[in-house]
Amino acid sequence: MNSVQHTARVGLLFLLGLALIWVTYEALGSKSALSKTGYPIVAGFQNLKALKQGDDVRMAGVRIGAVETTQLAGHRVEAILRIDKKVTIPSDARATITSSGLLGTNYVAITLGTPHAAPLGPESEIRTYESADLGTVMAQLGDLGEKLEDTLGAVSGAFRSQDGQPSLFERLNQLLSDNGNKIDAVMSNLESITNKVNRGEGTLGKLVNDPAVYDQLLATITEIKDAANEARGFVTGAQELVAHVKTGQGTLGTLLYDEKATADLKAMMANFAQVSEKLSKGEGTLGKLINDDTLYTDAQATLQKADRALGAMGDSGPITAVGAVANALF
Amino acid sequence: MKHLNAILAGFGSTVLLLLNSLRQVGSLPRQFARLAEQCYLIGYTTLPIVAILSFFIGGVLALQSGYSMSNFGTKEFIGSLVGLSMTRELGPVMVAVLLAGRVGSAISAELASMKVYQEVDALVTMNIPPERILVLPRLAAVLVMMPILTLIGILVGWFGGALVCQYVGFISLSPEKYFETLRRYTDFHDVWSGLVKAEIFGFVVVLVSCSIGLNTRGGPREIGASVTKAVVTSLILILVLDYFVTKALL
Repeated sequence: MNSVQHTARVGLLFLLGLALIWVTYEALGSKSALSKTGYPIVAGFQNLKALKQGDDVRMAGVRIGAVETTQLAGHRVEAILRIDKKVTIPSDARATITSSGLLGTNYVAITLGTPHAAPLGPESEIRTYESADLGTVMAQLGDLGEKLEDTLGAVSGAFRSQDGQPSLFERLNQLLSDNGNKIDAVMSNLESITNKVNRGEGTLGKLVNDPAVYDQLLATITEIKDAANEARGFVTGAQELVAHVKTGQGTLGTLLYDEKATADLKAMMANFAQVSEKLSKGEGTLGKLINDDTLYTDAQATLQKADRALGAMGDSGPITAVGAVANALF
Repeated sequence: MKHLNAILAGFGSTVLLLLNSLRQVGSLPRQFARLAEQCYLIGYTTLPIVAILSFFIGGVLALQSGYSMSNFGTKEFIGSLVGLSMTRELGPVMVAVLLAGRVGSAISAELASMKVYQEVDALVTMNIPPERILVLPRLAAVLVMMPILTLIGILVGWFGGALVCQYVGFISLSPEKYFETLRRYTDFHDVWSGLVKAEIFGFVVVLVSCSIGLNTRGGPREIGASVTKAVVTSLILILVLDYFVTKALL
């Protein structure tokens, strides 16, 4: 193998090394490679936590860019995010800093936003919100622990005697000691009742132990339920009737709610009163007819005369009928 | 005291050798053929063993870390562990150890033979500084080849770890997840640090091997002793320097 071949192989190896260095740089430095191609947006936060240059920017979990740089800006901190130019971010999307796990690195998470919102342009600022990190959660857990400790201390204090006052346990013990006989009696009664129930004695015992009683009770309840349903239907009908009457419809409604009809009725009743008063006084034809029997007597006599006249007409023929009637009448 | 004197003498002769070699840097363009030949010997012929060793180092690293990290539910971080370990530490050190064993021993044996058989003296007699044609091309070649060898070793180690993670049953980590965590936690700065370390180690190995070879006295037995001494000294210096260089680069 001559030196030319050696030189060629060395050259090949050298070129391979350069290519590998470039590939490695691109692979590991893709964060910076992306930063040259996308467009920047600004995200302002109160605390960037451990966010650093090159960390991912993910929209709904999909990597869409990287953190280009972080900087202080007055009373807040800003992260310049380099977004892939193929990705558009709606203006109502929101960004926050979150972690991929307890041991994971931080990244900027961006919500999807709404599809109809205008897209964010280069150099524009995305809305952000602060999310609780592990330190905040641990601090809250610490506060919770302190409150829990205080609560347990208060409970523990209630169980201890203080200033000569008996504790809760002592009071309970005293209560049980003072009322031991009563409690025993109550327990005995309870035992007796449960024994009776168990033996099927009494209403409750039969109800518990006798299926027939249970069936009867169930049937009774069913009947009561049916009656209640019927009553409910009746009440519903009555309500509808009342509502119908209240609207002034029908005879009763007109009578109760029509003012003109009411006035007419009142006038009619007044007329009736007057008529009845006249009748009772014997005034007028009808009053006299009711109170004076002369008319009746006269009428009866007249009818008798008419009867006789008709009889006479039958006997003397039609020619004399007029004369007979006139004779009978006058 | 005698050993201390020997150590100091060896250190001093090595420094002088370096200075004399640097004084000949201007002659390097005229020695392109020698440089290419040394690049071939140091780089091309060492590449297979570097690839094999790095592949299995990465695989074993993934296997061991996977066995341990599976118990903690953190096996997805194997990629970052293998990536950083191979890049910052194991890649440069193992390539330097291989270089000491394969190239450093060859250099010291060759130069010791030339010294014992008075070829070096002949060069001096002809007013040809031995540093110019024997040392400088080797130093330049190792500076060129060491980053390439190390980078190939690092990348092969990464892929070895990925294969182990994918096909070993109790790990079963996809290459996508492996390389995702590897990329997340490994920066090009780490690769750069590894290449700087490898450059320093390779340069020291070749320089020490040249120095020991050129300082050989005696006969054939001393040639073997020089080879052993060059390899052992190189290994010790690699590990000692590793600590200080790592601390400096952190």
